[in-house]
Amino acid sequence: MRVLLVEDDPDISRQLKQALGDAGYAVDHAADGEEAHYLGENEPYDVVVLDLGLPKIDGVSVLERWRREGKTTPVLILTARAAWSDKVAGFDAGADDYLTKPFHTEELLARLRALLRRAAGHAAPSLSCGGLRLDPRAARASVNGEPLRLTSLEYRLLHYLMMHQGRVISRTELVEHLYDQDFDRDSNTVEVFVGRVRKKIGSDRIETVRGLGYRLVPLEGEAAA
Amino acid sequence: MSGEAQAPAENGRGRPREGSLVRRLIALAAGWILVALILTGAVLTTFFKQAALSRFQDGVAEIAEGLLAGTTVSADGKVAAPDLIDARSLRTYSGTYWQIAEPTPAGIHPLSRSRSLWDADLDGPPKGLEQAIARLGKPVFYDAVGPDGRPLRAVAIVALLPERTEPLIFMAAQDRTPVDQDARRFATLTWIALLLLGGGLVAAVLLQVRVGLSPLFDLGRAIAQVRQGKAQRLTGVWPREISPLAGELNALLDHNQEVVERQRTHVGNLAHALKTPISVMLAETERHPGELAEVVSRQAAAMRGHVDHHLRRARAAARAQTAGERTLIEPVMDELAVTLERVFQDKGVVIDWRAPEDLWFRGERQDFLEIAGNIMENAGKWCRGRVRADATPSGPGRLTLTVEDDGPGLPADRRDQALKRGARLDESAPGSGLGLSIVDELVRAYGGRLTLGDASMGGLKVVVELPAAET
Repeated sequence: MRVLLVEDDPDISRQLKQALGDAGYAVDHAADGEEAHYLGENEPYDVVVLDLGLPKIDGVSVLERWRREGKTTPVLILTARAAWSDKVAGFDAGADDYLTKPFHTEELLARLRALLRRAAGHAAPSLSCGGLRLDPRAARASVNGEPLRLTSLEYRLLHYLMMHQGRVISRTELVEHLYDQDFDRDSNTVEVFVGRVRKKIGSDRIETVRGLGYRLVPLEGEAAA
Repeated sequence: MSGEAQAPAENGRGRPREGSLVRRLIALAAGWILVALILTGAVLTTFFKQAALSRFQDGVAEIAEGLLAGTTVSADGKVAAPDLIDARSLRTYSGTYWQIAEPTPAGIHPLSRSRSLWDADLDGPPKGLEQAIARLGKPVFYDAVGPDGRPLRAVAIVALLPERTEPLIFMAAQDRTPVDQDARRFATLTWIALLLLGGGLVAAVLLQVRVGLSPLFDLGRAIAQVRQGKAQRLTGVWPREISPLAGELNALLDHNQEVVERQRTHVGNLAHALKTPISVMLAETERHPGELAEVVSRQAAAMRGHVDHHLRRARAAARAQTAGERTLIEPVMDELAVTLERVFQDKGVVIDWRAPEDLWFRGERQDFLEIAGNIMENAGKWCRGRVRADATPSGPGRLTLTVEDDGPGLPADRRDQALKRGARLDESAPGSGLGLSIVDELVRAYGGRLTLGDASMGGLKVVVELPAAET
């Protein structure tokens, strides 16, 4: 397994190179954002450990560039910035995990193992509907190439609608697929989630069929394209 | 009793001059108006009284002068008054009287008098005849009492007639009651008019002060709105005298914001600077086990706790000072839910959240992220797979965030402990670690409350009450 370690502090870099090497990884090291971006773009890494405070280009920008260029390599952010606003920004930029300094080396290794395991999950065919794409393997969805940020309940709703494109699906059927058997549901649950998903994918993609339920439709302009 | 009740009110502010600006302005204006009106009234009434009396005296003097001009003295020395001096002097007690007298050592001796006097005499000047003799031929005025007891204004002229060696005194008098009545009536009318004028002026001043100072009251309301989070700055058009003040207040708000931002940056830099060396130390101790490594590791962990605690605390203190910020809750909850599900991806945590689209937190976005993020992370850490988060308005200017999980929960006797600082990191019970104690401090800085309870789905329930901004 090849790992790219992006870290500007020489002591931490030395320690991590050693620890990762001991754990059986092949480690490349980059000490600034520019070098990190170049390496990540051109070498087939299995996982990246990325510091945020970097010389030249900061970590979030590097990550955003990779994701824009279509790189899906799992990235773990390793930073001293522990505020939730930083965490949210990191995941927003496309991070897969986030670990704050100071940390235990064991924890970092465990998280890397989890990331690799997830990335190696079973391949499943991705679903699409107009400009909407849904990748069940990574549990990711995108609209016109832009990644969507969905919570798991929203993802479940969209997944179910996409699996049954064009069919009218009743509220009861939807709520049964959203929640486990023993979940306490409030009466307007489906409306709430349909509203949220509409906000994220465009309101006219989910049609309300009065008295019957909802239906996912490809937009005409995009279906042609 | 009243003395005791007043004392704290006087000492309360410790300022020598307090009270109402409006009242002070009105008291000053009213005082000045009172003095001016009293002076005006006094001058007017005195002047009127003197003018009326002077005209009245002229009439009396005319009678005396007619008497003097028409009086004849016969060869044998008998004094004869003119036939008709004034018709009124013919009627008894008519109020118009005359008399001709001659001076005697004891006083005066009347020689002839008007019929109106009947058998009474007119008194001479109370101060004697010296003044009248000294001013021979000129009238001397004085007050006297008529035969019917009414007040009179009298005049005496001492003159020498060519036929007589001895001087004669020509006297006339008239009832002065009508003049006094006129003066009194005038005075009454004058004082009533001045009183009305004074009342009108004070009312006008009151109106002027209220209208004139109204921008000050508006300013107070605008500042209150900023403090309540309904506005970020002072907006609107202010009068020229107030607008520098409004400008300064806005500058102060901006400065406040800037200071907070700067402090936050410093704090963040310090955190970054300290955490990396601690990381290095921790990793080094892991690689070289031994007694020294154990001590260093323990101390490094403690340092990490202190750094976290004190830096967050400093930030909490800095942020509670800022006014005027507000944060829409729904998008923050969405971001947090997406992020946290990603964090707990391996565990497959489902976060079910609800928030009205128009609910605002009165405070900064970062802080709401920190509060909700830490609580929901704690729930995610201990749940078996489900976290439920609800943000709802609760009463005017308040909102409640409830986070529940389906984990093992926290026994009631350990709940206080969970909010205490110093609980060790990564302990094996929900709510321990720094997470909830940091949230508790932050919530308190916003004047809110954090309580722990039992969730209906089995785990821990965290309820946070926070200030809401009104929409």
